[in-house]
Amino acid sequence: MRDFALPLSKADLMRVESPARYVGGEYGAVIKEDMLDELEKEGKTSYLRFAFCFPDIYEIGMSNLALQILYHVLNESDFVACERAFSPWKDMDAILREKKIPLYSMETKTPLSKFDVLGFSLGYEMCYTNVLQMLDLSQIPLLAKERGENDPIICCGGPVTYNIEPMADFFDVVMMGEGEEMILELCEKIRDYKLSKDTDHPITREELLYNCAQIEGVYVPCFYDVSYSKETGTSVKPNREGIPETVTKRIIKDLDTVLYPTNPVVSNMRVVHDRSYLEVFRGCIRGCRFCQAGFIYRPVREKSEEVLHEQGCLLERNTGYDEMGLLSLSTSDYTQFPKLATDLLETFEGRHTSLSLPSLRLDSFSLDLMEKVQSTRKSGLTFAPEAGTQRLRDVINKNIREENIFSALELAFEGGWSTVKLYFMLGLPTETDEDVLGIADLAKRIEQLYYDVGRRTGRKMRKLEITVSTSLFIPKPFTPFQWEKQDTKEELIRKQRLLKDNLRSRNIRYAWHDFDSSVWEVVLARGDRRLSPVLLEGYRSGLFFDAWDDQFKLPTWLEILEKHGLKVEDFSREYSEEETLSWEHISVGVTKKFLLSERHKAHAETTTPSCREKCSGCGVTCFGVGECFKEKVKGGVSYAAE
Amino acid sequence: MLQSELEKKMTMQPHQTAYVQRCTFARSGPTIYLGHLDLMTCFERAARRARLPILYSQGYNPRPEMVFALPLGVGIETWKDYLDVSLDSPFDEEEFIKAMNTYLPQGIRILKSKSIPEPKDSIMSIVTTASYRFEAKGIRAAMEKAFSMETLEVEKVAKGKVKTTDIRPLLISLSQASDGNPDAVDFYCGAGSEKNVRPDLILASLMKYCGMDKDTAENTRVIRTGLFSGTYPRITPIDEVKVQKKVIPQA
Repeated sequence: MRDFALPLSKADLMRVESPARYVGGEYGAVIKEDMLDELEKEGKTSYLRFAFCFPDIYEIGMSNLALQILYHVLNESDFVACERAFSPWKDMDAILREKKIPLYSMETKTPLSKFDVLGFSLGYEMCYTNVLQMLDLSQIPLLAKERGENDPIICCGGPVTYNIEPMADFFDVVMMGEGEEMILELCEKIRDYKLSKDTDHPITREELLYNCAQIEGVYVPCFYDVSYSKETGTSVKPNREGIPETVTKRIIKDLDTVLYPTNPVVSNMRVVHDRSYLEVFRGCIRGCRFCQAGFIYRPVREKSEEVLHEQGCLLERNTGYDEMGLLSLSTSDYTQFPKLATDLLETFEGRHTSLSLPSLRLDSFSLDLMEKVQSTRKSGLTFAPEAGTQRLRDVINKNIREENIFSALELAFEGGWSTVKLYFMLGLPTETDEDVLGIADLAKRIEQLYYDVGRRTGRKMRKLEITVSTSLFIPKPFTPFQWEKQDTKEELIRKQRLLKDNLRSRNIRYAWHDFDSSVWEVVLARGDRRLSPVLLEGYRSGLFFDAWDDQFKLPTWLEILEKHGLKVEDFSREYSEEETLSWEHISVGVTKKFLLSERHKAHAETTTPSCREKCSGCGVTCFGVGECFKEKVKGGVSYAAE
Repeated sequence: MLQSELEKKMTMQPHQTAYVQRCTFARSGPTIYLGHLDLMTCFERAARRARLPILYSQGYNPRPEMVFALPLGVGIETWKDYLDVSLDSPFDEEEFIKAMNTYLPQGIRILKSKSIPEPKDSIMSIVTTASYRFEAKGIRAAMEKAFSMETLEVEKVAKGKVKTTDIRPLLISLSQASDGNPDAVDFYCGAGSEKNVRPDLILASLMKYCGMDKDTAENTRVIRTGLFSGTYPRITPIDEVKVQKKVIPQA
């Protein structure tokens, strides 16, 4: 294997935290030798060079499933060579700037500006400024309109791109939805563009962008104009012929046959989620009204148990990880879950491989299972009631009832469990102080239950540990709550104090989320193109790594926002149902009509059944696949059209 | 099953005979920037990928039984380092090397492996001496100066506290580099659980006493060239040390 010289000296690397972030050389990394041969012989390559960019540090990026999937999809194709790049932490950022060393790829240490495409994976809004950091360190013009024929094409994808407007000035091309097929279609267009440069009729960058906009699911921001109005809202409309009015996200119809990486890149250093991932299904049958993922990933599509078992075995063998995460939005909802979990555990018997099972609904099966897979005593039970009273849980359509929590906990306490984590949200629509106090009440009654079980069984009980965590509600686009206001910071602080004062017990610990970042997150989540110059100025004044609480500076952001004639209230206010929303030119398949009806049901405190119980007509039947089209499972339930 | 019963069951497994491979390994390239724990994980995962019959420790958090002779700090290359890997059955040495090398990340290689009985003395406890090679402009003069000093006091952070320590007694002997490179030196120094000196502390002393600048010190190529047992000059490379079999008391 060839050696690729790092552009940094040993001293540079010895001066930064975790130098292993910057050196590559992982097991499973792909390097296309024939591309390198071409480069060596001819000084250029017919391969499309794709830099998969993750705008956060290595340890976070390497825990990202999208990176592993698309890295392999791209490298499996015969015309793309994909490498990885991450945001360097501030210590390394300073060295690269000082020495004018361009940001380079992990595999061949090539400066990113030498790639044909930079594809950013955007998982959360707070990483936007790191996109700018990575472009800047690569010495690539930040603004799309300032880039020319010799600059790479800058594209992105990921859950937050459904409202990419705040970043519209920086991206050439945006991919909406699941990327496995779309990304290759996009790469074909860019390869044609690249190869045409040596012909008599080179394709121009603008022509290329136009060609890309013809791909289903692809959004090219520069072909749209925005009009702002206090009365009618913000509307985004195509500015030329042949550009779609609405861009609809892409989905993968058959998850059994789509490529899934069973030979992912295995980091040499410890990363955030140090395990292999088995993706079980996409979408969620639940429809919790605050949850963006629950709507944007629809419809529910499962992988078959046979395929999952095979992929699980390959993953376990190929990676050497001693833990495998079963991944989905709600793993207990997988129809074959007991069989899958039991079979995998049987296969891993004697291999010291455990299963990590996030998002399990607790019942006797999952308790039994957790006992089997636990590797340390420390692991606790996790519940996410999200709200403190049944009334508010009905509002948000969180179909978990107190009886369920208590019966599951009783079983667990009888089995000797003594650590419970409870997740809630503060600031939900219609929330009153009674709902906030309901959280404290629930925690205290769980404490009481523990002592009752102890008395009844006469067993010596361990010390009980209850952790109550609250995060803050953020109204997100494409949810029934996309119109709702966000509580002010002062109101949220008051509610948090109220809760804290009522949670005093030696068994209960209270953990809460940072307020400042929620204030900014709502601006970015519901923001429009007027934020691009704000983000640019913020980045220019040294703001990035906003996703890191200790780096995030809300006061500076607010100053910059104000300078641009905007305020937080413009995006945290209650939106009117009549106004056009700045993300309405994008469709995730769920209709606005459905979201509105869900909103109205929320205010009427009415719940909506899961997709498996009854079709509620959300609109994703337009994709023609998924749970919606399954044959009837139970009598009288119809899964067909709206 | 109750948690307390589970606990009992997991701690009461009988001792299993270990078939140990004493491996000699090298690392270079990007992997020199891995810390010791990460390096251990790399070996564990490679052994798991290779489907080797590794033995696991007992108790609640079973780990593969792999013991390194001496931790390798960040930034240190090695030409000859050692570890013991415990297997549950006898294994052919050549096959063991081949399997591991197929699955280790780029830059880490097993050079040799030897089947030994489960040792009475752990591989960590027999290390007394290490040999290193330093490569940097002017390293020879600086090291000669260091060896001519009576004391070399440097600051060392241990358990969050800064402590001053004299490393001079731990420096054993200095020679020109075996390949004649004028900008390189070979030397022996104390290593192991009793008297250990980390190469970064030696470089710190070169900055403090021998006029070496920070950049040169930090850019110095540090290579561990061997680990030994015994008292200098009567030292034996770890892979040549005679192994005494551990006696397991019958339950």
